[in-house]
Parts: sequence; C-alpha cells; structure tokens
Amino acid sequence: MTHPAPSDRPHVFRHARGKRPEFYETEGLDQAMSMIMVLASELCVVRDRLDSAERVAKAHGIDLAAGIETLVFDQAALEEREARRQEFMRRLFYVQLKDADEAAQAQTAEGYTRTIAEIAEQ
Amino acid sequence: MLNTFQQAPHAALPEATADEASRQEFAKSLKGFIQSTLLPGLGPVYQTRVARTFEREHGRPPADRRDIRTGMVKDLYFQHYAATNRIAQELLWESVSSSVDRQLPELIAKARDLSAGSAAQLVIPEGFQPPRYVTALDIHCMPGGYCSEACPEDISVGAVYDRGVYLYSMGYTGPNNDDMGRSVVNYLKRNMPGFKPRRILDMGCTVGHSTLPYKELFPEAEVWGIDVGGPCVRYAHARAAAMGLEVNFAQMNAEETTFPDEHFDLVVSHILLHETSGKAMPRIFAEAHRVLAPGGLMIHADLPPFDLMDPFTQFILDNETWYNNEPFWGAMRDMDQFALAERAGFDRAEVRFDTAPMAVMEFAAQAEGYSQEASEHVAERDFTAGEFAPGGGWEVLIAHKAGPRAIAA
Repeated sequence: MTHPAPSDRPHVFRHARGKRPEFYETEGLDQAMSMIMVLASELCVVRDRLDSAERVAKAHGIDLAAGIETLVFDQAALEEREARRQEFMRRLFYVQLKDADEAAQAQTAEGYTRTIAEIAEQ
Repeated sequence: MLNTFQQAPHAALPEATADEASRQEFAKSLKGFIQSTLLPGLGPVYQTRVARTFEREHGRPPADRRDIRTGMVKDLYFQHYAATNRIAQELLWESVSSSVDRQLPELIAKARDLSAGSAAQLVIPEGFQPPRYVTALDIHCMPGGYCSEACPEDISVGAVYDRGVYLYSMGYTGPNNDDMGRSVVNYLKRNMPGFKPRRILDMGCTVGHSTLPYKELFPEAEVWGIDVGGPCVRYAHARAAAMGLEVNFAQMNAEETTFPDEHFDLVVSHILLHETSGKAMPRIFAEAHRVLAPGGLMIHADLPPFDLMDPFTQFILDNETWYNNEPFWGAMRDMDQFALAERAGFDRAEVRFDTAPMAVMEFAAQAEGYSQEASEHVAERDFTAGEFAPGGGWEVLIAHKAGPRAIAA
C-alpha cells in the first residue's frame, strides 16, 4: 500500500455546523471561559503524565512518588522554587501590574491618542 | 461515586496516545462533574433568585419552561453552568477529533479490511440525499454531523461518534455503548419469552451500538441497521465485523426504506426520533408499520414526553435544544406519540409506554472500570433532568401490529 503524502491526508471536520450560543453579557467572556477550560484540560493532561511517569518509574524499581514526598530542599532549592513562584505570579498578574505602572507614569489613553496625532504632524 | 468506566477496545476503534487519552478522560470527567455537582445548584438558584425576580418583574410566577428560561439566562450561575456544559461538549469532540485525525488513513484502511471479511451486506446507494434535519445543524455539536465525508470511503465521523458517544454517556451505556439495545432485548426476552423475530430492523442505527445486541441475543435473526449517514454505516459494518457479528447495514432513510411490505417482525430505534423532525416522525411511524409483518412489534426507545414532567424539569431538558444543536429535542417531547402510532395504522389499545431497565449492571466486574458499586449507582438512580440517561431504565414506546402475536415458539 502506498502512503499518501502528508498534504493528501484526509482530515476530520473541526467545526460543528450551527451558530454557537453566547452565555455571558460581558463581551469576550465566552471566549475566555473556553480558553480557561482548555488550559484546565491541559493541566490535567500534564498531571496525568507526571502520574504515569511515577508509575512507570516504580515499575522499574524507582519510587519517584515516595522520593518526591521525602525530598529535603537545601537553601538553593528553596530559593529557586520561591523565585519561580514569584516570577509566575508576576506573569499571571501582568495586566494588573501594567495598569499600576501606567498609573505611576501617568500614561493615559488620551495621552496615547495625543502622541499618535503629534507624531503624525507634518 | 467515582466513575472509572472504560470503553472496550475493538479493531475498528481509534486508539489514543497517552495525552489524547487524558484529554478525553478530562472531557468525560468534566461532564460528570457538571451533572453531579453543578446541576443540583440550578434548583435553589431558580427558587430563591430567578423565580422571585421573575415574579417581581412580571407580576406573576413563571408559568412554563419558556418563562423559566427567560429568567434563568440572566443568572450568572446558570450562565456558568450552561457555558461549561457547552465547552465540555466542545472539548469532548475536539479531544476525539484530533486523535482520529492523526490516524485517519489507517482507520479507513482498517475499516475497509474488516468489512471485506464480513459476509453481511453493506449497501451504500449512489447519490443518496440525507434529509435536511440532519444536515442543517451538526447534531449535538459533533463536527461533520453524521453524513459529511472527508474523502472516498470515509468513516471519520463514524469513528468520532463511536469514541465520542462513549465519553458523552460517561460509560453509562456499557463498554460497547450498547445499553439501549441490550436493555430493549432484555425487556423482550423477559416480557415476551416466546417472541422470536426472524428479521429485525434498527432505524437510525449510526454506528450500530444498539443494533449488535439484537444479533447477539437473537442469533438466528437477520438483522439490518439503517442510517442516513454513509460514513456511519460504513464504520458500523466494520465495527460489527470487528466484534464478530454478521449484521447488515445500509444507508437508508427511515421515512422511506426500500424493504418490502411486512418484511420484519421487529422494528426498533434508539434515540432516533428526537433527531428527526415534525414532518419525518409520522412518516417513520408509518414506514415502521408498513415493513412490519402482522403481529410484529415497533419499539422506539427515546425521550419521555414533556407532559409527564414539571416545567422546571422541562426547562433543564430543553437546554439541549438551545445549546447543543438538538433542534427537535424539545418539540419531539410535545408530540402525541399515541396519535402518531394510531395514524400509522396501529390500534391505539396496542400502543403503550414502558420502561426497559438499564442493562449496565450486566457489565459489573466483567469490563474494565465497571465495579459492582458504580454500575448499581448508574442503574438505580432516580430520574434527574440534565443527567445523562434516565435512572431506572429507558423509556420505550411499544406498538403491536394487528395479527397473531409474532412467531411464538
């Protein structure tokens, strides 16, 4: 049997025919909820994979799960983890922190529009 | 109760990588969570918030499911419930579609090989036109619906359906997705032990989930499954072969089959009627009557009518109409099925509704993930609108065509 070139491969249908309903009055929230649930799904996928890794290791004589539970962190490890958590939260709250920075710099939407006009001046 | 039900593999079924399997399990778990944990909140939200607001605004309490809906759609709890339900449905199909897409040419080849090894007929007529009620919207949001073909000899939507429906029903219909058919056969065996149909027709069979138990439990009978979806019957034929059963499948419209008059002793359908239309449903009843031999039985296993339910229950069920591409879901429940059967030629005294107890218990401890406890839990629930499958059993409409009680042994 000949294998078709990748571009010739048939593909399944990806969208269901029919207008998708909206559930929220706030614009964009339907999309945001979908994205959140997709991320939640991927988080579960990763957690499942870690669980599988522990089980496979155990089947090969390495008790990863027990090792993880009894792992003792030295100072460097503690600092590394805390730095990673703080960095993560900084990314998570990026838009709020940007807002605070704009307030501190007195950057406004009006100022932005004014700049566009000023730059365009001939 | 933890649901660890697992679908039984067969040679035509798509296989999932570890990550694909996790995504699919997530979709199944999310549906379970919504039904067990979010759904119960809708009652108190309605009673303590929505009904009161409605009464204040309209000067009267909500009277029917439409009034309830008017109020509920503005409530944030309901919005989260309904949005998450819809997203779960989308995640479900996406988790299966991407898995099927990865292996589609191989699945098509496998189905072709399996079919070639079966002595049973597979009939796909040239130029068949599926009816609009299945092509206008992709029912229950399954991308492609039942009829779309991605390429010649395509089975993709059949494969997506086989895996997707297992996740949709969260395994409640057994490791082979066949609880409805199995329950109806059990019902016949227990209530009419002398009934031995020579020919059996399953209308709207999709991939033959409910069709196969008829062949398994009436091995002497000639069994036919028909459906308007070409890729579905193609996949059904391969799946039956993979499961070692010779069942004939044809792409055919249940409103107008090509079978001769009085050809079958038993005509059945499972969750077909609510995916048809107000015009098609009477024609399907009439066609069932035409192809039934005297003394034969027509049995439709579908949704119970609305007139047996309170308005809030109706409202919950009707969400499928609005949010899950099920255009006939609500209207079908308002149809007078006794009158339809009578107009089709059945004697009204020979038409009744009954409950066929779920067969899921039979799988307990025999199939992966089906513990005695969890199977009992599924089989013995009370009916709760918004949960998959009525607890206790499937609602069946049974009509007996005039004539001697069929083929008593």
